[in-house]
Amino acid sequence: MVEASITWGDLNRYDAEMAGRVASGDVSALEELYKGHGGAVASLAFRVLRDQALAEDVVQDTFVGFWKSPDRYDPTRGSLRTFLLTIAHRRAVDIVRSEEARARRELQPPEPDRFDLEDEVITRQLSAEVRSALDDLPEGERKAIAMAYFGGLSYVEVARRMGEPEGTVKSRIRSGMRKLSSSLQGVAT
Amino acid sequence: MTHEQILELLPIHALDALEGDQLAEVDAHVSNCEVCSTELSTLYSVTATLTSDVPAPLGVWDRIEAEIEGESSSAKVISLEEASSRKGKGAMWFASIAAAAALIFAGLAVFQRGTINDLSGPEGVIVAAESAAEEPGAIVADFETDDGSVAQVVLSPDGEGFVLPADSLDPLDEDRTYQLWVITPDEQVISAGVLGNDPEPARFTWSGEVAGFALTRERAGGVISSEGDVVSVIEA
Repeated sequence: MVEASITWGDLNRYDAEMAGRVASGDVSALEELYKGHGGAVASLAFRVLRDQALAEDVVQDTFVGFWKSPDRYDPTRGSLRTFLLTIAHRRAVDIVRSEEARARRELQPPEPDRFDLEDEVITRQLSAEVRSALDDLPEGERKAIAMAYFGGLSYVEVARRMGEPEGTVKSRIRSGMRKLSSSLQGVAT
Repeated sequence: MTHEQILELLPIHALDALEGDQLAEVDAHVSNCEVCSTELSTLYSVTATLTSDVPAPLGVWDRIEAEIEGESSSAKVISLEEASSRKGKGAMWFASIAAAAALIFAGLAVFQRGTINDLSGPEGVIVAAESAAEEPGAIVADFETDDGSVAQVVLSPDGEGFVLPADSLDPLDEDRTYQLWVITPDEQVISAGVLGNDPEPARFTWSGEVAGFALTRERAGGVISSEGDVVSVIEA
Protein backbone atom coordinates (compact mmCIF):
# COMPACT_ATOMS: atom_id res chain seq x y z
CA MET A 1 0.00 0.00 0.00
CA VAL A 2 1.31 3.43 -0.86
CA GLU A 3 0.69 6.01 1.82
CA ALA A 4 0.19 9.65 0.94
CA SER A 5 2.71 11.93 2.59
CA ILE A 6 3.83 15.52 2.38
CA THR A 7 7.50 15.87 1.55
CA TRP A 8 9.80 18.83 2.14
CA GLY A 9 9.68 19.46 -1.59
CA ASP A 10 5.89 19.69 -1.49
CA LEU A 11 6.04 22.06 1.45
CA ASN A 12 8.68 24.18 -0.22
CA ARG A 13 6.61 24.49 -3.39
CA TYR A 14 3.51 25.30 -1.37
CA ASP A 15 5.32 28.05 0.56
CA ALA A 16 6.78 29.49 -2.64
CA GLU A 17 3.36 29.46 -4.27
CA MET A 18 1.75 31.14 -1.29
CA ALA A 19 4.45 33.81 -1.17
CA GLY A 20 3.89 34.42 -4.86
CA ARG A 21 0.14 34.81 -4.34
CA VAL A 22 0.76 37.29 -1.53
CA ALA A 23 3.17 39.21 -3.74
CA SER A 24 0.43 39.47 -6.36
CA GLY A 25 -1.92 41.03 -3.81
CA ASP A 26 -4.03 37.98 -2.99
CA VAL A 27 -5.48 38.69 0.46
CA SER A 28 -7.01 35.21 0.67
CA ALA A 29 -3.50 33.74 0.46
CA LEU A 30 -2.37 35.83 3.40
CA GLU A 31 -5.48 34.78 5.31
CA GLU A 32 -4.71 31.12 4.57
CA LEU A 33 -1.19 31.63 5.88
CA TYR A 34 -2.54 33.40 8.93
CA LYS A 35 -4.86 30.48 9.68
CA GLY A 36 -1.95 28.08 9.25
CA HIS A 37 0.79 29.92 11.10
CA GLY A 38 -0.89 32.71 13.07
CA GLY A 39 -1.32 30.51 16.10
CA ALA A 40 2.36 29.58 16.25
CA VAL A 41 3.37 33.20 15.78
CA ALA A 42 0.97 34.30 18.52
CA SER A 43 2.11 31.55 20.83
CA LEU A 44 5.77 32.47 20.43
CA ALA A 45 5.15 36.19 20.80
CA PHE A 46 3.05 35.65 23.90
CA ARG A 47 5.64 33.37 25.42
CA VAL A 48 8.34 36.00 24.98
CA LEU A 49 6.24 39.02 25.92
CA ARG A 50 3.78 37.60 28.47
CA ASP A 51 1.34 40.27 27.38
CA GLN A 52 -1.59 39.43 25.15
CA ALA A 53 -2.04 42.89 23.66
CA LEU A 54 1.66 43.21 22.81
CA ALA A 55 1.71 39.68 21.41
CA GLU A 56 -1.23 40.45 19.15
CA ASP A 57 0.56 43.59 17.97
CA VAL A 58 3.54 41.42 17.03
CA VAL A 59 1.30 39.00 15.15
CA GLN A 60 -0.24 41.89 13.24
CA ASP A 61 3.16 43.46 12.49
CA THR A 62 4.52 40.13 11.30
CA PHE A 63 1.77 39.39 8.80
CA VAL A 64 1.38 42.97 7.61
CA GLY A 65 5.16 43.13 7.18
CA PHE A 66 5.07 39.97 5.07
CA TRP A 67 2.22 41.42 3.04
CA LYS A 68 4.26 44.53 2.30
CA SER A 69 7.55 42.74 1.59
CA PRO A 70 6.91 39.12 0.63
CA ASP A 71 10.11 39.07 -1.39
CA ARG A 72 12.07 39.03 1.85
CA TYR A 73 11.12 35.36 2.12
CA ASP A 74 13.45 33.02 0.24
CA PRO A 75 11.92 29.53 -0.11
CA THR A 76 15.35 28.03 -0.66
CA ARG A 77 16.34 29.07 2.87
CA GLY A 78 13.56 27.32 4.74
CA SER A 79 9.87 27.19 5.40
CA LEU A 80 7.55 30.14 5.53
CA ARG A 81 6.59 29.12 9.06
CA THR A 82 10.21 29.45 10.16
CA PHE A 83 10.50 32.80 8.37
CA LEU A 84 7.41 34.21 10.07
CA LEU A 85 8.47 32.92 13.48
CA THR A 86 11.93 34.43 13.01
CA ILE A 87 10.46 37.83 12.16
CA ALA A 88 8.02 37.68 15.07
CA HIS A 89 10.68 36.60 17.55
CA ARG A 90 13.01 39.41 16.67
CA ARG A 91 10.18 41.93 16.96
CA ALA A 92 9.15 40.51 20.34
CA VAL A 93 12.74 40.62 21.55
CA ASP A 94 13.04 44.25 20.50
CA ILE A 95 10.00 45.04 22.63
CA VAL A 96 11.32 43.07 25.60
CA ARG A 97 14.68 44.80 25.41
CA SER A 98 13.09 48.21 25.22
CA GLU A 99 11.03 47.34 28.30
CA GLU A 100 14.14 45.95 29.96
CA ALA A 101 15.96 49.18 29.27
CA ARG A 102 13.11 51.19 30.70
CA ALA A 103 13.02 48.98 33.77
CA ARG A 104 16.75 49.41 34.32
CA ARG A 105 16.42 53.15 34.04
CA GLU A 106 13.72 53.12 36.64
CA LEU A 107 15.86 50.87 38.84
CA GLN A 108 13.24 48.18 38.88
CA PRO A 109 14.47 44.76 39.91
CA PRO A 110 14.64 42.11 37.17
CA GLU A 111 11.65 39.84 36.90
CA PRO A 112 11.94 36.51 38.64
CA ASP A 113 13.15 33.54 36.67
CA ARG A 114 10.28 32.53 34.38
CA PHE A 115 11.99 30.76 31.56
CA ASP A 116 11.80 27.11 32.48
CA LEU A 117 11.23 25.02 29.40
CA GLU A 118 9.87 22.10 31.30
CA ASP A 119 6.84 23.32 33.19
CA GLU A 120 5.15 25.14 30.36
CA VAL A 121 1.82 24.05 29.00
CA ILE A 122 3.08 24.93 25.58
CA THR A 123 5.99 22.55 25.88
CA ARG A 124 3.56 19.70 26.31
CA GLN A 125 2.16 20.54 22.89
CA LEU A 126 5.50 20.13 21.18
CA SER A 127 6.14 16.99 19.19
CA ALA A 128 7.61 13.98 20.92
CA GLU A 129 10.83 14.40 18.95
CA VAL A 130 11.29 17.97 20.15
CA ARG A 131 10.48 17.11 23.75
CA SER A 132 12.92 14.24 23.62
CA ALA A 133 15.65 16.44 22.15
CA LEU A 134 15.09 19.02 24.90
CA ASP A 135 15.08 16.35 27.59
CA ASP A 136 18.44 15.11 26.36
CA LEU A 137 20.12 18.50 26.87
CA PRO A 138 22.08 19.11 30.07
CA GLU A 139 20.15 21.43 32.39
CA GLY A 140 22.60 24.32 32.00
CA GLU A 141 22.32 24.25 28.21
CA ARG A 142 18.56 23.93 28.25
CA LYS A 143 18.18 26.79 30.70
CA ALA A 144 20.53 29.11 28.82
CA ILE A 145 18.69 28.50 25.56
CA ALA A 146 15.30 28.99 27.21
CA MET A 147 16.29 32.22 28.92
CA ALA A 148 17.63 33.64 25.69
CA TYR A 149 14.89 32.45 23.35
CA PHE A 150 11.78 32.69 25.51
CA GLY A 151 13.02 35.42 27.81
CA GLY A 152 14.27 37.60 24.98
CA LEU A 153 17.56 38.09 26.81
CA SER A 154 20.98 38.66 25.32
CA TYR A 155 23.58 36.07 26.21
CA VAL A 156 25.26 38.75 28.32
CA GLU A 157 22.10 39.21 30.35
CA VAL A 158 21.60 35.44 30.59
CA ALA A 159 25.12 35.16 32.04
CA ARG A 160 24.41 37.90 34.55
CA ARG A 161 21.18 36.31 35.71
CA MET A 162 22.69 32.82 35.88
CA GLY A 163 25.74 34.14 37.70
CA GLU A 164 28.00 32.51 35.12
CA PRO A 165 30.84 33.91 32.99
CA GLU A 166 29.70 35.10 29.55
CA GLY A 167 32.02 32.60 27.89
CA THR A 168 30.39 29.74 29.75
CA VAL A 169 26.91 30.79 28.62
CA LYS A 170 28.06 31.19 25.02
CA SER A 171 29.52 27.69 25.13
CA ARG A 172 26.35 26.23 26.61
CA ILE A 173 24.15 27.84 23.99
CA ARG A 174 26.46 26.72 21.16
CA SER A 175 26.63 23.18 22.49
CA GLY A 176 22.89 22.95 23.11
CA MET A 177 21.96 24.34 19.73
CA ARG A 178 24.32 21.95 17.96
CA LYS A 179 22.75 19.02 19.76
CA LEU A 180 19.25 20.22 18.92
CA SER A 181 20.24 20.78 15.32
CA SER A 182 21.60 17.27 15.11
CA SER A 183 18.70 15.54 16.83
CA LEU A 184 15.98 17.54 15.08
CA GLN A 185 17.23 17.22 11.52
CA GLY A 186 14.09 15.38 10.48
CA VAL A 187 11.74 17.82 12.22
CA ALA A 188 13.20 21.22 11.42
CA THR A 189 12.03 22.87 8.21
CA MET B 1 35.83 39.20 13.78
CA THR B 2 36.94 36.39 11.53
CA HIS B 3 34.60 34.12 9.62
CA GLU B 4 35.28 31.34 12.13
CA GLN B 5 34.50 33.58 15.07
CA ILE B 6 31.23 34.66 13.51
CA LEU B 7 30.33 31.07 12.69
CA GLU B 8 30.70 30.32 16.39
CA LEU B 9 28.25 33.09 17.26
CA LEU B 10 25.52 31.97 14.88
CA PRO B 11 23.78 29.61 17.37
CA ILE B 12 23.49 32.59 19.72
CA HIS B 13 22.34 34.83 16.90
CA ALA B 14 19.61 32.32 16.00
CA LEU B 15 18.14 32.91 19.46
CA ASP B 16 18.30 36.69 18.93
CA ALA B 17 20.69 36.77 21.88
CA LEU B 18 23.28 39.09 20.34
CA GLU B 19 22.96 42.85 20.50
CA GLY B 20 24.78 46.09 19.79
CA ASP B 21 27.93 46.22 17.70
CA GLN B 22 28.35 42.46 17.84
CA LEU B 23 24.92 41.95 16.29
CA ALA B 24 25.60 44.52 13.59
CA GLU B 25 28.93 42.94 12.69
CA VAL B 26 27.48 39.43 12.51
CA ASP B 27 24.52 40.60 10.42
CA ALA B 28 26.81 42.41 8.01
CA HIS B 29 28.98 39.33 7.59
CA VAL B 30 26.06 36.94 7.17
CA SER B 31 24.54 39.05 4.43
CA ASN B 32 27.71 38.52 2.37
CA CYS B 33 28.66 34.98 3.38
CA GLU B 34 26.83 32.05 1.83
CA VAL B 35 28.22 29.56 4.36
CA CYS B 36 27.07 31.58 7.36
CA SER B 37 23.76 32.47 5.74
CA THR B 38 22.99 28.80 5.13
CA GLU B 39 24.07 27.83 8.62
CA LEU B 40 21.89 30.54 10.16
CA SER B 41 18.88 29.41 8.14
CA THR B 42 19.39 25.89 9.46
CA LEU B 43 19.59 27.18 13.02
CA TYR B 44 16.45 29.27 12.60
CA SER B 45 14.60 26.13 11.51
CA VAL B 46 15.74 24.49 14.76
CA THR B 47 14.47 27.33 16.93
CA ALA B 48 11.16 27.22 15.05
CA THR B 49 10.61 23.67 16.30
CA LEU B 50 10.46 25.02 19.85
CA THR B 51 7.09 26.62 19.12
CA SER B 52 3.97 24.53 18.88
CA ASP B 53 1.21 25.03 16.36
CA VAL B 54 -2.01 26.17 18.00
CA PRO B 55 -5.13 27.68 16.40
CA ALA B 56 -4.66 31.23 15.19
CA PRO B 57 -6.22 33.94 17.35
CA LEU B 58 -9.60 34.76 15.88
CA GLY B 59 -9.78 38.53 16.04
CA VAL B 60 -6.30 39.55 14.94
CA TRP B 61 -7.02 38.71 11.33
CA ASP B 62 -9.61 41.50 11.27
CA ARG B 63 -6.92 43.95 12.29
CA ILE B 64 -4.48 42.66 9.70
CA GLU B 65 -7.10 42.82 6.96
CA ALA B 66 -8.13 46.29 8.05
CA GLU B 67 -4.55 47.52 7.95
CA ILE B 68 -3.73 46.11 4.53
CA GLU B 69 -7.04 47.02 2.91
CA GLY B 70 -8.14 50.04 4.87
CA GLU B 71 -5.69 52.67 3.75
CA SER B 72 -7.87 53.62 0.82
CA SER B 73 -11.17 53.35 2.63
CA SER B 74 -12.92 56.40 3.93
CA ALA B 75 -14.66 56.50 7.25
CA LYS B 76 -18.34 57.24 7.38
CA VAL B 77 -19.11 59.43 10.33
CA ILE B 78 -22.23 59.01 12.39
CA SER B 79 -23.26 60.88 15.47
CA LEU B 80 -23.87 59.41 18.87
CA GLU B 81 -27.36 60.78 18.67
CA GLU B 82 -27.91 59.01 15.38
CA ALA B 83 -26.48 55.82 16.76
CA SER B 84 -28.62 56.00 19.86
CA SER B 85 -31.73 56.67 17.85
CA ARG B 86 -31.17 53.43 16.00
CA LYS B 87 -30.60 51.45 19.14
CA GLY B 88 -32.45 48.18 19.08
CA LYS B 89 -33.90 48.64 15.64
CA GLY B 90 -31.67 46.13 13.99
CA ALA B 91 -30.64 48.59 11.32
CA MET B 92 -27.37 48.19 9.43
CA TRP B 93 -26.29 51.46 10.89
CA PHE B 94 -22.58 51.20 10.48
CA ALA B 95 -22.95 50.20 6.86
CA SER B 96 -19.78 51.54 5.30
CA ILE B 97 -17.69 52.57 8.22
CA ALA B 98 -14.09 51.62 7.67
CA ALA B 99 -12.15 50.52 10.70
CA ALA B 100 -8.84 50.55 8.90
CA ALA B 101 -6.67 53.57 9.40
CA ALA B 102 -8.16 54.43 12.72
CA LEU B 103 -8.11 50.87 14.02
CA ILE B 104 -5.96 51.32 17.05
CA PHE B 105 -7.45 48.28 18.73
CA ALA B 106 -4.81 46.09 20.23
CA GLY B 107 -6.68 43.05 21.22
CA LEU B 108 -9.68 41.60 22.90
CA ALA B 109 -9.40 38.11 24.29
CA VAL B 110 -9.64 36.62 20.86
CA PHE B 111 -7.41 33.61 21.32
CA GLN B 112 -9.51 30.54 20.87
CA ARG B 113 -10.64 28.82 24.00
CA GLY B 114 -8.46 25.95 25.06
CA THR B 115 -5.33 27.29 23.44
CA ILE B 116 -3.39 29.90 25.36
CA ASN B 117 -6.17 31.56 27.27
CA ASP B 118 -4.93 29.76 30.37
CA LEU B 119 -2.34 32.51 30.56
CA SER B 120 -4.95 35.23 30.92
CA GLY B 121 -8.13 33.62 32.17
CA PRO B 122 -11.44 35.30 32.94
CA GLU B 123 -10.68 35.63 36.65
CA GLY B 124 -7.47 37.50 35.89
CA VAL B 125 -9.35 39.83 33.55
CA ILE B 126 -11.94 40.60 36.21
CA VAL B 127 -9.29 41.35 38.83
CA ALA B 128 -7.43 43.60 36.40
CA ALA B 129 -10.67 45.36 35.43
CA GLU B 130 -11.55 46.02 39.05
CA SER B 131 -8.12 47.50 39.60
CA ALA B 132 -8.36 49.64 36.45
CA ALA B 133 -11.81 50.91 37.45
CA GLU B 134 -10.34 52.39 40.60
CA GLU B 135 -7.76 54.47 38.76
CA PRO B 136 -8.48 58.22 38.70
CA GLY B 137 -9.93 59.13 35.32
CA ALA B 138 -11.02 55.59 34.45
CA ILE B 139 -14.17 55.19 32.36
CA VAL B 140 -16.71 52.72 33.71
CA ALA B 141 -19.92 52.33 31.73
CA ASP B 142 -22.73 49.80 31.44
CA PHE B 143 -24.39 48.50 28.30
CA GLU B 144 -28.06 48.47 29.20
CA THR B 145 -31.13 47.01 27.58
CA ASP B 146 -34.70 46.66 28.73
CA ASP B 147 -33.46 43.74 30.79
CA GLY B 148 -30.95 45.93 32.64
CA SER B 149 -27.17 45.89 32.40
CA VAL B 150 -25.85 43.22 30.01
CA ALA B 151 -22.16 44.13 30.08
CA GLN B 152 -19.76 46.63 31.58
CA VAL B 153 -16.85 48.41 29.91
CA VAL B 154 -13.85 49.66 31.86
CA LEU B 155 -11.16 51.80 30.25
CA SER B 156 -8.18 52.95 32.30
CA PRO B 157 -6.50 56.31 31.62
CA ASP B 158 -3.53 54.52 30.04
CA GLY B 159 -5.78 52.79 27.52
CA GLU B 160 -6.17 49.35 29.02
CA GLY B 161 -9.75 48.24 28.48
CA PHE B 162 -11.98 45.46 29.71
CA VAL B 163 -15.39 44.08 28.78
CA LEU B 164 -17.24 42.23 31.51
CA PRO B 165 -20.38 40.49 30.21
CA ALA B 166 -23.23 39.94 32.64
CA ASP B 167 -25.19 36.70 32.94
CA SER B 168 -28.10 38.54 31.35
CA LEU B 169 -26.24 38.80 28.03
CA ASP B 170 -27.88 36.00 26.09
CA PRO B 171 -25.62 33.56 24.21
CA LEU B 172 -25.99 33.71 20.44
CA ASP B 173 -26.02 30.88 17.92
CA GLU B 174 -22.56 29.68 16.95
CA ASP B 175 -22.72 31.47 13.61
CA ARG B 176 -23.12 34.81 15.40
CA THR B 177 -20.90 36.93 17.66
CA TYR B 178 -21.05 39.99 19.83
CA GLN B 179 -18.75 42.80 18.71
CA LEU B 180 -17.53 45.87 20.61
CA TRP B 181 -17.16 49.28 18.96
CA VAL B 182 -15.62 52.51 20.18
CA ILE B 183 -17.17 55.84 19.23
CA THR B 184 -14.64 58.65 19.12
CA PRO B 185 -15.23 62.34 19.91
CA ASP B 186 -15.17 63.08 16.18
CA GLU B 187 -17.96 60.51 15.84
CA GLN B 188 -16.14 57.74 14.08
CA VAL B 189 -17.24 54.24 15.00
CA ILE B 190 -14.34 51.84 15.15
CA SER B 191 -14.28 48.12 15.78
CA ALA B 192 -12.62 47.29 19.07
CA GLY B 193 -12.88 43.54 18.78
CA VAL B 194 -14.90 40.38 18.56
CA LEU B 195 -16.32 38.91 21.77
CA GLY B 196 -17.67 35.57 20.59
CA ASN B 197 -21.17 34.16 20.76
CA ASP B 198 -21.05 33.58 24.52
CA PRO B 199 -18.63 36.25 25.74
CA GLU B 200 -16.30 35.92 28.67
CA PRO B 201 -14.45 38.78 30.38
CA ALA B 202 -12.00 40.14 27.85
CA ARG B 203 -9.32 42.79 27.41
CA PHE B 204 -8.74 45.44 24.79
CA THR B 205 -6.51 48.47 24.52
CA TRP B 206 -7.35 51.85 23.13
CA SER B 207 -5.24 54.94 22.64
CA GLY B 208 -7.16 58.12 22.14
CA GLU B 209 -10.26 59.80 23.44
CA VAL B 210 -13.55 57.98 23.71
CA ALA B 211 -17.05 59.41 23.40
CA GLY B 212 -18.92 56.14 23.73
CA PHE B 213 -19.15 52.44 23.08
CA ALA B 214 -21.51 50.22 21.15
CA LEU B 215 -22.27 46.53 21.38
CA THR B 216 -23.68 44.75 18.34
CA ARG B 217 -24.54 41.26 17.13
CA GLU B 218 -22.66 40.24 13.99
CA ARG B 219 -21.84 37.15 11.98
CA ALA B 220 -19.25 34.82 13.53
CA GLY B 221 -15.68 36.01 13.20
CA GLY B 222 -16.71 39.63 13.36
CA VAL B 223 -16.87 42.32 10.72
CA ILE B 224 -14.98 45.47 9.91
CA SER B 225 -18.19 47.38 9.29
CA SER B 226 -21.30 46.47 11.22
CA GLU B 227 -23.86 44.40 9.39
CA GLY B 228 -25.87 43.42 12.41
CA ASP B 229 -28.16 44.86 15.01
CA VAL B 230 -27.38 47.05 17.96
CA VAL B 231 -27.61 45.65 21.46
CA SER B 232 -26.73 48.87 23.26
CA VAL B 233 -24.99 52.19 22.84
CA ILE B 234 -23.52 54.10 25.76
CA GLU B 235 -21.96 57.50 26.17
CA ALA B 236 -18.68 57.47 28.03
